[in-house]
Amino acid sequence: MAEQDLHKNDKAGNGQQEAPLTVVEKIKTESRGLRGSLQESLQDEITGAVREPDHALIKFHGIYEQDDRDLREERAEKKLDKLYSFMARLRIPGGFMKPEQWVAAHHIAGKYSTGVIKITTRQTIQLHGILKSQLKPTLKQFDQVKLDSIAACGDVNRNVACTSNPYESPLHTEVHAFADKISTFLLPKSRAYYEIWLDEVKLHEHNEPDPLYQDRYLPRKFKIGIAIPPNNDVDVLTNDLGLIAIIEDGELKGFNIAVGGGLSTTHGNPDTYARLATVIGFVSGEENILKATYEVLTVQRDFGNRSDRKLARLKYTVDRMGVGGFKKELEQRCGFKLETPKPYQFTQRSDRYGWMQDHDGNWHYTVFVENGRVTDTKDFPLKTALLQIAETGNANFRFTSNQNIIVSDVSVENKEAIQSLLNQFNLDGFTNAASAFRKNAMACVALPTCPLALAEAQRYMPSFITKIEALLNKYDLQQDGIIARMTGCPNGCARPYAAEIGFVGTATGKYNLHIGGDREGTRLNYKFRESLDEDGLLQELDALFSIYKNNKAADEHFGDFVLREPGLIPIINSQTI
Amino acid sequence: MLAEPKLKSLSELVSDLSQEELIWVNKYLTGLVSSASKEELVKQAVVQQRITIAFGTETGNAQRLATHFATKAKQAGLLVKLVGLDQYRLADLPKEKYFFTVISTQGEGEPPIGAKKFYDFILASAPGLTQLQFAVLALGDTAYPLFCKTGEEVDEQFEKLGGSRLLPLQKCDLDYEATAEKWMVNVLSYLENSTKATNPTIASAVAPAASAKPASRQVYEGTILSKINLNASGSSKRTYHFEIAAEDVNYVTGDSIAITPRNPQEMVTRILSAAKADPEKLVTWKKETYSFEDLLVNKLNISFLSDKSVSQYENIYGNTIPERKISLLALLQKYPVNESQLESIIAHLNPVAPRIYNIASSPLVYPGEVHITVLEEHYLENGEDQEGICTQFLKEKEENDTVSFFIQTNKRFRLPAEDKDVIMIGRGTGIAPFRSFMAERDATGAEGRNWLLFGEEDFTTDFLYQTEWQQYFNTGVLTKVSLAFTNNEEEPFLIQHKLKQQAEEFYAWVQAGAVVYLCGEKDPMGKEVEDTILNIFKEQGNFSDEEAAQYFEQVKKEGRFIKDLY
Ligand code: SRM
Ligand SMILES: Cc1cc2nc3c(=O)[nH]c(=O)nc-3n(C[C@H](O)[C@H](O)[C@H](O)COP(=O)(O)OP(=O)(O)OC[C@H]3O[C@@H](n4cnc5c(N)ncnc54)[C@H](O)[C@@H]3O)c2cc1C
Ligand SMILES: Cc1cc2nc3c(=O)[nH]c(=O)nc-3n(C[C@H](O)[C@H](O)[C@H](O)COP(=O)(O)O)c2cc1C
Ligand code: SF4
Repeated sequence: MAEQDLHKNDKAGNGQQEAPLTVVEKIKTESRGLRGSLQESLQDEITGAVREPDHALIKFHGIYEQDDRDLREERAEKKLDKLYSFMARLRIPGGFMKPEQWVAAHHIAGKYSTGVIKITTRQTIQLHGILKSQLKPTLKQFDQVKLDSIAACGDVNRNVACTSNPYESPLHTEVHAFADKISTFLLPKSRAYYEIWLDEVKLHEHNEPDPLYQDRYLPRKFKIGIAIPPNNDVDVLTNDLGLIAIIEDGELKGFNIAVGGGLSTTHGNPDTYARLATVIGFVSGEENILKATYEVLTVQRDFGNRSDRKLARLKYTVDRMGVGGFKKELEQRCGFKLETPKPYQFTQRSDRYGWMQDHDGNWHYTVFVENGRVTDTKDFPLKTALLQIAETGNANFRFTSNQNIIVSDVSVENKEAIQSLLNQFNLDGFTNAASAFRKNAMACVALPTCPLALAEAQRYMPSFITKIEALLNKYDLQQDGIIARMTGCPNGCARPYAAEIGFVGTATGKYNLHIGGDREGTRLNYKFRESLDEDGLLQELDALFSIYKNNKAADEHFGDFVLREPGLIPIINSQTI
Repeated sequence: MLAEPKLKSLSELVSDLSQEELIWVNKYLTGLVSSASKEELVKQAVVQQRITIAFGTETGNAQRLATHFATKAKQAGLLVKLVGLDQYRLADLPKEKYFFTVISTQGEGEPPIGAKKFYDFILASAPGLTQLQFAVLALGDTAYPLFCKTGEEVDEQFEKLGGSRLLPLQKCDLDYEATAEKWMVNVLSYLENSTKATNPTIASAVAPAASAKPASRQVYEGTILSKINLNASGSSKRTYHFEIAAEDVNYVTGDSIAITPRNPQEMVTRILSAAKADPEKLVTWKKETYSFEDLLVNKLNISFLSDKSVSQYENIYGNTIPERKISLLALLQKYPVNESQLESIIAHLNPVAPRIYNIASSPLVYPGEVHITVLEEHYLENGEDQEGICTQFLKEKEENDTVSFFIQTNKRFRLPAEDKDVIMIGRGTGIAPFRSFMAERDATGAEGRNWLLFGEEDFTTDFLYQTEWQQYFNTGVLTKVSLAFTNNEEEPFLIQHKLKQQAEEFYAWVQAGAVVYLCGEKDPMGKEVEDTILNIFKEQGNFSDEEAAQYFEQVKKEGRFIKDLY
């Protein structure tokens, strides 16, 4: 088997036949179905960390080992090991939770983690700061409300994102159901999660057959997003595989398939680049849709680069094979041809804050959650408010790819009661008071937990926005819904390359400034300035807002304007950023 | 077997005998059987005296000596009752004839906890003991200002109650072996003489062993190289790691150091101003003259007065004071006195006692240095948080400051042969000597296995010396680590609970000859761990209560259960 796989890897024609497999590849194949030495790692009392190879494996269980970087120095001096803890990311396809699940998450977060519930840019939640000894209780308690973190990370298909707001379409439920189906369909077959975390008795001796992932899984993470036009809240084209719902005459006809999206770049590595997915065709019928999805993964499994993780995402596979070549291989595996893509149009990416009534008459309230951090502060007891709303049992919770929460599926009779809770805790007031700029902005987690962070993001963004708001006020642009996003490193977790303004951290207090993405998320932006500190950023923005204000056409968005305005961005035709 | 009349007279004879007499008869008969001449045996039987050897101990020294003494006495043909003062029936005291006490001094000149009841009994309400013939072997440590205080008091009190002193009080310093041995020989030879002669020679005839004079210990002037609070922020504790350099400092792994703190200046200032006393005024204490302030800062225990000191205060104040174990300042605030009264009160105060800290470094690895691990002590007085005197004194030291100390040898607390396994159990600062053990075993390449059981509050903030243990673990020097952290657990989870979980392995190690060390807080940790170990023996060895206790006794006898509790 292994030999044949290697051969297939060669077939990718990446000219790296001799290149050795990465360490992670070895860890995966030797992991006995993602078990590795995790059981032993959990028993190691002397350290809060897991053993070295398990570091990569535990991600497949939705868990990341982290340490509080703020404390490293202090602890070393105190002869204490790093403050290791774990972040657990749940698998919540389409970002939908029952109220009782939210109540459980609230309490679990309080008991075992930092208490903050972090809504991610892919519609799920993360808990940080869970100690190794508390991982099992945490996952067991989530299991009691039918939540898990299987494959929320790792070289497998991740949480499937899907347009959140039922208001968007009468067919929302039908489309949304696909997220769940696909997610379940593409789960690894290993029972390791149940054995390790939930004490399930071992049924197989570590060799559950897994035709999709085999014993080597994918070369890299894999992301699927489903959008219901005209809303592109999920940033569908930034996914490895984007599914764009085609709805005609009130019916779900099928999906346009887009492949090869991915944002991450590495500072100083010119071979890495951000890429939006290319629409390669249309499929209809549940069976074919699932089949096509499945085979996109198998092509990536067999052709993806397993020798260099920086170049292992599907986007590189697609470009190496050529879009045509990729499509041909896919069709061959599917046993059917893809149809010509259907026309679609995106007009917006922002969330629709406040109340919206869907086509069945139910109400949905989108709450603005700054950077997705659900916590209580003195002035704004968001976490308590959401708990009380959940405890009524009269609202579901939906997370958006913009890191917000929709208190949803509220019947007409219950709306008033929910509204009074929204008022009581000032959620309504807070959501309304935030500027359009703030509400459209995102920042990734970054420091102190993210090991890859070079600069601050979610801890810094709120105060930085306050300063930008002052500039916007100066030019009377406060209601202009410019989309700005910040990340602490070039991995792009808050999708800064797909923003009108992107801040990409390069070092403590330093950011590259990107501009020129469109508002709908169909065009990447361009690196405009490098490594600026706050003053530098504000000066540049001041200047840009000033020309924008003076020279823009009516209704022209900032991202489009800076691209059109001569002399601002020299290389128009390149996607290199 | 015996003919009827013989049997009858034998049973008549034995029916009247006490337990002890029976034992003697038994021995006598056994002796007969084993063919010693009848005459010889009869002679022995005549000289055989009944004596009681009672011990009061905290860390086992007095017990060991008393046991040794009992063996010797038995060999000399005496009938011996060996009893711990914690078990002693006070009602028996007036019946005792020969009564030998081996007792240590603890705390600040206080009796060992187990001997407290006995001590209080004889000091307060004991009946006349005119029949009593006694001698006292006092254990102590000249590092403490009240050297062998308890032994002294017991000795004095027996006399006051009418007892006759067979031998003068013998005080022993930490190197008690030779002195104690001599005392035993003297006692036994006295007893022999006394039974031969009709008039026992009086005690003073037997020369006492040269009484230990406060040995001048070498005091080192240490320089603090580094001071680190080992607990991470968020911890409820502060445990300081000190590295102290002192030229030519000479110690063995397992030893401790003793530091005599100064009292906080602020406390002294408040005391003086409460009594409107002049800090410069010259006052006399133990025949020496000091300024008021100097005396209070440097010499006296003012933070935690003994019962007696409070009683003296009461006398001078002239009214009853219900409080005990209180600070001088608190007394002054509640029961004010003037300068001259304060002067008389001070004359009765005890000297400040040195504090002991286990050395956490090995001289092989850090020659010329001692490392210690000091927990900042906190307690409530009148509902207010107070800091311990010595820990406060140390905490305020900075790098390059000096601190004087002397070495407190701890002969019992030694590593075994290199091939022996070691189990180290400790909570909190109890981990300190184990750090020195591991350093030593690492340095010497000792091949015995090493198992650390450590408990504290919080894994993330309180795992003292975590990275060092990890290194020992990763290089294989440390074989096994078992931890118990109370936080993050639903039920209180302490080191003894962890130990219980590891019962099987623990027993296997002990069976294989491991030496078990227990260090840290005496109460309740030390006691509970010891109980747990006993239970483990019982369960794992399938023993009855008695057998388990015997097994544990045996392990202790072999020197494989060694405590340093405080
Ligand atoms: C939580 C989240 C950001 C947020 O503030 O919401 C996040 C957080 C992290 N991302 Fe991400 N990523 C998140 C969305 C993204 C996105 C956006 C998206 O998918 O829509 C991207 C860019 C799109 C893409 O994948 O190309 C993204 C690209 C990355 C990368 C770069 C991947 C690559 O192709 O090189 C890494 C680093 C890696 O995988 O080696 C990364 C790694 C990480 C890690 C796990 C750091 C690590 O590997 O140790 C971050 C955890 C920080 C922490 O302490 O929580 N994250 N990450 C998002 C979680 C989404 C989810 O629920 O699954
Ligand atoms: C053999 C041995 C080894 C030791 N090893 C170590 C070690 O390695 N590390 C370590 O940190 N410690 C060790 N200790 C303990 C150490 O010697 C000290 O006892 C400890 O540091 C506290 O001293 P202190 O002067 O700070 O507190 P103190 O001022 O002596 O107070 C101690 C306690 O006395 C009581 N107390 C004092 N004053 C009052 C008052 N006015 N009212 C009510 N109660 C009062 C309180 O309970 C208080 O907690 C060891 C002790 C022994 C006997
Ligand atoms: C906390 C502590 C306090 C002590 N206080 C005194 C003291 O005040 N006077 C003294 O002479 N010896 C004192 N000693 C020394 C002991 O009496 C000495 O170590 C003795 O050998 C202990 O005997 P034991 O093991 O039978 O208890 C003290 C020892 C400790 C551990
Ligand atoms: S963008 Fe970089 S810093 Fe931010 S969460 Fe992702 S990996 Fe961490």
